[in-house]
Amino acid sequence: MANKKYWVIIFLTIAINVMMVQWTVESYLGREYEQVVLFSGIAIVSACIAFIALVYWKRVEYEAEQHE
Amino acid sequence: MNTECKKGRNVKKSKSDMVNLIGNVDQKDDLKYNRRAFLKTAAGASVALGLSTVPFSVKAMMGMAEEEEERVEITKLANLPKGESLTFNYPTENDAAILVHSVNGELVAYNSACTHLMCPVFYEKDSDTLLCPCHKGYFDINNGHPISGPPQRELPLIELEVTNGTIFATGRKYRHG
Ligand code: FES
Repeated sequence: MANKKYWVIIFLTIAINVMMVQWTVESYLGREYEQVVLFSGIAIVSACIAFIALVYWKRVEYEAEQHE
Repeated sequence: MNTECKKGRNVKKSKSDMVNLIGNVDQKDDLKYNRRAFLKTAAGASVALGLSTVPFSVKAMMGMAEEEEERVEITKLANLPKGESLTFNYPTENDAAILVHSVNGELVAYNSACTHLMCPVFYEKDSDTLLCPCHKGYFDINNGHPISGPPQRELPLIELEVTNGTIFATGRKYRHG
């Protein structure tokens, strides 16, 4: 399956985002504001990657049907 | 689901074999809970998680702008013999803090709201520790780190300065030691 890689990417971003949420909250409570911004930046980037991967996956996934 | 996809996917009359298996009694579920729907939900969850950090960073940026510590007089050193403690407020009137002159002569101050559920902590002279009576949380007097009980994080440390026998609070550190 060619689109397996999109699955992997999307699940990786979930793993990253779970960690980032945890770390942002922790550094927020520790008042380490630079870290909060850093971690949430990473989280946003990885959310974007997830979204883009979804778009590409959709393209591959539904391509076959459209040509039938 | 009555909003039908405009591209004709995931509907009863779709051309997909999976959906049109003859006599598929679970057709409705197959249309709703399938591999594709699963991945879409997963991607949605990932995006939602990522975006949920945004409010924190917005607040953090606001917090960064207004981080100004000021120097505040607490008390005279002479009023606080060894083994005694004193409560005061720093940096604002709403942040209770405790200043301790420990039995071995050290001066330390922490915000006194327990990092578990915000009960005020007290200085226990006999054991030379800070005690939170609510759930028996103990903090190390030397560095404010929890030693036993439910608290997980250290107490915010208040930096002190002694000039001419007067104790001043000069700043606060959240993560230390
Ligand atoms: S509030 Fe201090 S131990 Fe629970």
